[in-house]
Amino acid sequence: MEKNFKREISALDEIFSFVDDFVTESRIDDAVAFSIRLAVEELFTNFVRHNTGGLDHIAISLKRDSNQLLIQLKDFQVEPFDMTKVKSVDVDLPLEKRKAGELGIHLVKSIVDKLSYEYSKRTLCVTAIKNLEEQDV
Amino acid sequence: MFSIKRAKDGHILLVGRLDAAQVDRARNYFRSVTESCTLDFTDLDYISSAGLGFLLGTQKRLSESGHKLKLVNMNKYIRDIFRIAGFDNIFDIE
Repeated sequence: MEKNFKREISALDEIFSFVDDFVTESRIDDAVAFSIRLAVEELFTNFVRHNTGGLDHIAISLKRDSNQLLIQLKDFQVEPFDMTKVKSVDVDLPLEKRKAGELGIHLVKSIVDKLSYEYSKRTLCVTAIKNLEEQDV
Repeated sequence: MFSIKRAKDGHILLVGRLDAAQVDRARNYFRSVTESCTLDFTDLDYISSAGLGFLLGTQKRLSESGHKLKLVNMNKYIRDIFRIAGFDNIFDIE
């Protein structure tokens, strides 16, 4: 499934409906569905907040290949920004030293099996792959 | 969607999905919260880093006056996210 969404945070409701349709069609269990929603939201909001330039839409693609889920977001006519290279978050810091920033990518890296970045012809593409166990589907 | 309700026992109930599009609603509500309180997650289905960031900011603000949030009845998926974020060390979770 692939669809374009407006480059704005308020598009999230429509994005969650899109994810729900995919989850139902692909008969994916609740735990993996939660991970897909989280990965899609974090990647999409990162694009909206950090990518410079860009068309008025961002493309989201969800695909299931046998035992893998593929989540892919594409942003067109933007400057390069590799979110996979942001520094890791120290989750052991005490409350007073914790910051909310960069937590989103930390979560995505923790819940998927692979996160990759490509940039070509001013199109930025981030792909997250989640391996499915037999009990996940 | 997302909503906030106050229960008869004083607990604050978070309902639905606390995502980046809904977090301002939570921020507006919690501006008037200035003392320790219990947040009931029974009907909260989902939270993202935006929701975690809001909770972190609220916990920091309350801690400056010796108060804190207590979080109860989290589902297992949200609990996992708290653990991954290291938030199980900075919140009182039951």
